[in-house]
Parts: sequence; structure tokens; C-alpha cells
Amino acid sequence: MSLLTVKELDKRFGGLHAVRKVSIEVSPGEIVGILGPNGAGKTTLYNLITGFIPADGGEILFDGHSLRGLAPHRIVGMGMARTFQLCRPFVGMSVLENVLVGSLGPRVPAGDLEQRARGLLADVGLQDKEQVPAEQLSYGDQRRLEIARALATEPLLLLLDEPFAGLGSGEIAELSALIRRLHADKGLTILLIEHKLREFMKLVSRVVAIDFGAVIACGTPEQIVAHPAVIEAYIGKQEEEHAA
Amino acid sequence: MRHKTFDAAGGVIAFAILALLPVIFSSGYLIGVLTVAAIYGIWAVSWDFMSGLTGRENFGHSLFIGVGAYAAGFLNTSFGFGPWWSLPAAMAVAVLFALLMGFPTLRLKGPYFALAMLSGAVIMQRLMLIFWEYTGGEEGISGIEPLLRSPLHFYWFVLAALAAVTLLLVLLARSKWGLILRAIRGDEATCLAAGINITFYKIASLAISAAFAGLGGALYAHYQLQVSPQLFAVVTSITIITMVYVGGMASIYGAVGGALLLTLMTELLRDFGEWRLMIYSLILIAILFFLPNGFIAPAWRSLRERLSSASPSNRRKTPAAAQSHAIGGSATGRETA
Repeated sequence: MSLLTVKELDKRFGGLHAVRKVSIEVSPGEIVGILGPNGAGKTTLYNLITGFIPADGGEILFDGHSLRGLAPHRIVGMGMARTFQLCRPFVGMSVLENVLVGSLGPRVPAGDLEQRARGLLADVGLQDKEQVPAEQLSYGDQRRLEIARALATEPLLLLLDEPFAGLGSGEIAELSALIRRLHADKGLTILLIEHKLREFMKLVSRVVAIDFGAVIACGTPEQIVAHPAVIEAYIGKQEEEHAA
Repeated sequence: MRHKTFDAAGGVIAFAILALLPVIFSSGYLIGVLTVAAIYGIWAVSWDFMSGLTGRENFGHSLFIGVGAYAAGFLNTSFGFGPWWSLPAAMAVAVLFALLMGFPTLRLKGPYFALAMLSGAVIMQRLMLIFWEYTGGEEGISGIEPLLRSPLHFYWFVLAALAAVTLLLVLLARSKWGLILRAIRGDEATCLAAGINITFYKIASLAISAAFAGLGGALYAHYQLQVSPQLFAVVTSITIITMVYVGGMASIYGAVGGALLLTLMTELLRDFGEWRLMIYSLILIAILFFLPNGFIAPAWRSLRERLSSASPSNRRKTPAAAQSHAIGGSATGRETA
């Protein structure tokens, strides 16, 4: 049985049809990538799945339960955690406190929360920075903090929104190794939005390509890069990617 | 933690001095000033708990003060209840108003909450005048019984209430609850992503804040022995906010210091006659300009730092803690460390 089933999800913002009857299935233990050019509706799709904005139509099933009408914090309580494309740490709080806030939900086992938060910081490589105010971290470290905070909620499914955006190639390699490790060690199911193709394609087992709010192709990374619709949507983008 | 020991000792010494001051100087005038200062202290800490921690500024704290005071007035005069009933009743009525104001406005982003609170207080002040047959209009309600016959005993009671409220709110602010409120100040969307029901925490903390504002209102009613629509005045809310700023936002205990300092300053400047308000305002502007994080809480923190580094058992300090202190980020960040 799939962990996440998105059926014909639909969303309009006035005249803009942002998400058009999108269907996605994610099985437990997979790393699935959502690929698409800027403005394709990827982040909107995340906001719909995580309950940050209500859908106009369609259905989302997570772990066998419908998410219809559930507030975002309830969905987190069911085991779905997300990160943001632009890092949004809790300003004015230390790195450790940022992670602690994530561990106050219903899924977290009772015990020493600080000890657990330190363990998560060690997992993402921030163990030496627990007392640093979160907003003073480098961009790459803020990404790690976002992931640690999301992991603190004890998720079954982790939704990463462009985790590599704004990072240098060294940081991308490290973060990508971290994601792979989380998947291997914790058995975490991961859904990933990205348009940095090179790392992305190495990381994911399956890709859903989106353009203008609709799914244009599904398949393995090899199938996707050869798919005519994807090439058409990406032809300009790939040029930029090589230049960068 | 050694910080906790110093905080506890500092608190006990401060409250002991406040309790003994009127005994040493035995002046009825001083008792009156200190009583008012302590009531303002209750209002300021209760404001700081909700607005200081979450950053949702409440410009109508006087709404809760006013409804608490009127609840005390009505109960004691019209319904003939004993004066002690005022305290729980005022808290309950203020909580009711907090829920009425909080549910529609705290779900919204932006300045709606601040504006709604401001309007709520103004509307209640007008309603007190419009329904003058019941509320006594401009005169308000008079003939309220005192809680305790002796002004000194009443002052001690108010001081004890202030100590209890401050202790409770400091402990709450340093618990998981305070962590969540500070996280709400940091970023609401991230709170949702961390699985926190932000609406519940905002409304509940407003209700706690209102309960103690109402308690202070009832104490004020039984001190003045009358209540008037002036209690709802916007200037009361602004004075309280200023006290919290001077004390140091989000520290809770700083608000007590801010309330004492500003109340005493108002009294000390009485000799300046018509210049008083100007001098008062200039001092305030100077404090807020030169000390944007406030005065009382940062001063206490640096004193505590000096005391704990002077004591031999605490020589070793982690470099990270020293660094975060040297950087001197926002005042809210370090408090629970």
C-alpha cells in the first residue's frame, strides 16, 4: 500500500490554474522527486499536501487517512514533515531550541527531549553549533537545521522543498549525502522538489515531472531525461544548468 | 543551573525590600505609591507574557483591566457579594473577553489583533458611558468595599499577588509553553511545520494574560474603592507597554522592574509641576533610544553574569555561551539558556 496517495488534486488562484488534477503515489521507503521549471506549481503542490492551503478538488490520503480539512499541525502529527524553500528558522532562538520546538508533537516518544534534539543535530552535522542563534547560521547550515527540525517531529514522510537552492557544489554534495543517509539509516520516505538536475537524478528512484500545474511525465530518472515532454519543458533550463 | 539560583535570590531580595520599604519609612503616601506600582507590575507582567513572548502586541490591555474592575464593582455593590469574590470573578470575566477577542482576531496575520484590541477597549469605554443608567456613566461605580482594612496589609497582599503571578509566568515562560510562544514570534509557518497548533497557544496565552490583567483590575477597584470608564483608557495600555519596554521585552520579571521604575519616576517628578510630563517623556525616550532592549532585564543579566563569574565554582563557561552573549542577539533568545 502506498504511504501517500494524491488523487486529481486541483487548485486555482483566481485565473491561474496552479495545480491541475495532479495524481502522485509514494510507496514507503521511496525517494520520489518532483521535477519542474520555476512556476510549475511544485511549491503549491507541497502547500496543498501539507495543509498550508486548502485544495479546490481532489483527495490526499496519507497512511490510509484522508487529509481533507486537516490543519497543518495535525498533518505533522500524523507523520508528515516539510522544509521550506527559503529557510525559516525561529529568529531569536538557538539552534538547539529550534529543534526542540519540533519535538513537542504527539509522535515524539517520551524521554529526554534535549538529548534527542542533540542527537538530531549530530545527525545533520550541527552538533557544535547548538547554542548559536539560528539566524546567524550559514545558508547551508540553515538547511540542515530545517531538516533537523523536520526530523524532530518523527516523520514517516519528509517533504523537502528545493533543499539545494542557493547552495555551493560542496554543500550540495554534503547535503545529498545526508539525505541518502537519512533514507538508509532511518528508513525515511522522502519526497523532493528540485530543479538542480545532476544531484537530484542521482538521489531519487522515481520522478514526477510537472509543468503548468499538470503532470507531464512519470518514471525512472533515465526515462524522465529522455522523455520528449520533459525535454520540451526543460530545454532552456538545461542550458542554464550547464552554464551554472 | 546557577542562573536559576541567582534569579531566585534576586527575586526574593527584591520582594523583601519592597515589602519592608513602607515599614522602614512608615509613610501612608509611600504605601499608596507602592500599591499602585505593584498593581501596574501585575498588568505589565501579564502583558509581557502574551505580547512580549509571541510578538503579537496588544494595544488594548486596558480592556481586560476594565472588565475585571467593573466585574468587581458590580459584584460587590449591585449584587452584594463579599469583596474576595471579586478576584476569581474578575479573572473569569477577563478570560471570557480574551476568548471573544482572540478567536476572531488571533487567527489572522498582520495588525488585526493589535487594532481589534485597541478598538475593543475604546468601545467598552464608550459603552460604559452609553449605558450610564447601569454603569454610573462618567462617575462609574463607587462605594466598593476594601479587601483589607489596613492599607499596609492590602499592599502586602497586592505584593504577594504580584510575586505569585510573576513567579508563575516566569516558570511558564521558561517551560515548553514559553518555547512555543517564542517560536510563534520567530515564524508562524515554521511553527505549523513543526506540528504546533499556533491558534490554540495564542488564544490560551491571551486568556492567561487577560486573567491576571483582570485580577489586577479587581485589586485596583478595591484599592480606589471605585471604578470609572477611565480604566479602559488607551493611555493605560500604552503606559503598560512602555513599562514592559523599559523592563526588557519577553523577560517577564523585567516588566515588574519597569512598572516600579516608571511609577516611582512619575511620583519623584511631581515637584517639577507642569514640566513633569516633558521630563518624564524625555527620560523615556532616552532609555528606549540608548537601550533598545530595555533596561531592567539586560541590567540584571549582566549583573548575574558578573556574579556567577565571580563565584569560584562557576569559572568554566562554555565558549558557545560566551559567544552568544558577546554577539548580544535579541534579548529573547538567551533567557532560557
